[in-house]
Amino acid sequence: MLSRLRYTFRETFDSFRRNATLTLAAIITAAISLLGVGLTLLSQKGFDNLLSKWEGGVEMIIFVNAGATEDQLGVIETALGNAPTFIDSFSYCDAQCSLDEAQVVLAGEPGVLELLNETNIPTQFKVIPTEGTDVDFLRLLEGEFITLPNVFDVQFAEDQISLIGQLQNFFGFRLLLLSIFLLLAAVLLIWNTIRTAIFARRREIEVMKLVGATDWFIRIPFMLEGLLHGIIGGVLASGGLWAWNTQWTNGVGEFPPGSGFAALVVTDGYDKTVMLIMLAIGALAGAIGSGIAASRFLDV
Amino acid sequence: MIRLENVTKSYSAEVIALRDAGFDIAKGEFVFLVGPSGSGKSTLLRMLNRQERPERGAVWVAGRNIVDMPPGRVPHLRRNIGNIFQDYKLLLEKTVFENVAFAQEVIGRPKHVIKQQVPAVLELVGLAGKEDRLPHQLSGGEQQRVSIARAFVNRPLILLADEPTGNLDPATGEGIMRLLDRINKTGTTVVMATHDQRIVNTMRKRVIQLDRGVIVRDQARGVYE
Ligand SMILES: Nc1ncnc2c1ncn2[C@@H]1O[C@H](COP(=O)(O)OP(=O)(O)O)[C@@H](O)[C@H]1O
Ligand SMILES: [Mg+2]
Repeated sequence: MLSRLRYTFRETFDSFRRNATLTLAAIITAAISLLGVGLTLLSQKGFDNLLSKWEGGVEMIIFVNAGATEDQLGVIETALGNAPTFIDSFSYCDAQCSLDEAQVVLAGEPGVLELLNETNIPTQFKVIPTEGTDVDFLRLLEGEFITLPNVFDVQFAEDQISLIGQLQNFFGFRLLLLSIFLLLAAVLLIWNTIRTAIFARRREIEVMKLVGATDWFIRIPFMLEGLLHGIIGGVLASGGLWAWNTQWTNGVGEFPPGSGFAALVVTDGYDKTVMLIMLAIGALAGAIGSGIAASRFLDV
Repeated sequence: MIRLENVTKSYSAEVIALRDAGFDIAKGEFVFLVGPSGSGKSTLLRMLNRQERPERGAVWVAGRNIVDMPPGRVPHLRRNIGNIFQDYKLLLEKTVFENVAFAQEVIGRPKHVIKQQVPAVLELVGLAGKEDRLPHQLSGGEQQRVSIARAFVNRPLILLADEPTGNLDPATGEGIMRLLDRINKTGTTVVMATHDQRIVNTMRKRVIQLDRGVIVRDQARGVYE
């Protein structure tokens, strides 16, 4: 068992050395394509954060000043309850709830976040319209609410979502498509590298078959080699993603406050998840590339 | 040990390499396969370790018909069969020791076994002291001895030799034959393809003669003809 392991690893690393140029090309391509996948996931998450306050079909939010009294909140509630044709339901997001939300929405602006507390953060009424209600009807209600005491803003999902959502789709789709093509190129390069490695060792393979090495014994070093290409690509991509994300997060902090992009950062460990996903995809690409090459060219 | 029954093998409609071939080889026999180039000797040898499969007929090796043997069993069959070739098939960047050790490594023999058995077999083939040489630092005869050591190190039941003296001068070839004879005397069945008349005539072993894929003669203690 031990000698088998030693053999396998020695063969794999020998092959890396002998085949350095192709190996490098395969690994770099894998890394770039995986980085593309990672950035797609990360930016989608950022956009999701940006839109998080509109989760669950919320179309209109009424922002209320921190100092509003119970009575004033009651007036708003009554007004909302009086429009059952348009409004399906609404929920009140109190100071604590709004603070939690700000952690996400303002993640990129720690300075602003620090100034917020239970006594100064605006609270929110989140309004879900009835099915079939056009946002334009909701807008008719805007004037009614904005004049109520201590209401300081009324926002509509449409205004933010249409722009951000378009950006999200535009970038997400194209970046992902690009990444998938690159990933395909990576699989092909890994395939070609393994094919070359097999060709370089056809004498050894011939002898191995003649003395009775099993198919898997012959295959495994090659499969491992391809797997390692993918995994190393994933590790490099993870490093790249980390550097990218750190710079972006710092960069967002320096945007003018209120420029609306403060949520476009990922801080809750999702970047680690993305790295694991990239490693897994890398390993899979490597296994596919080398697996096809091994079954096609080893002929064992 | 080996039995062929009505074996026919063709590579295409025109090239019929073996035609209805049959024979029986007992354990410990030494058999020459003779015949002109292209008569089917190599094909026959490759049939015995399942490098080729016949269209028709049965190939029995060590009590099993290997024609329908599942692919997963073939490596275990081959561990009982050593092979040597005219061109040695040594791995050029490995030393003598490594070339022989390779045959044990790749079937998972533990290191301490390899350390003990490889020097012993190198001693047997007369290469003691040359363990660290590379193939290009050896004569042709010495290279063939390395390949015999590699074929024999796992103590196979059968040794298949395809024109092992084809590239060697007569004196060196005789040395190789003495070595194969010694290996045969340990109980290993040897089947050797050759068209070297002198060797066949001096050894006086069983001779199976092929002509265009047909066995035309099977003679105990025969000569080349
Ligand atoms: N892999 C192959 N593909 C096609 N034809 C082959 C192949 N191997 C051998 N042959 C043909 O089969 C016949 C027998 O060849 P072979 O067994 O090599 O004979 P020998 O070893 O006696 O010279 C020849 O006509 C040869 O051309
Ligand atoms: Mg031949």
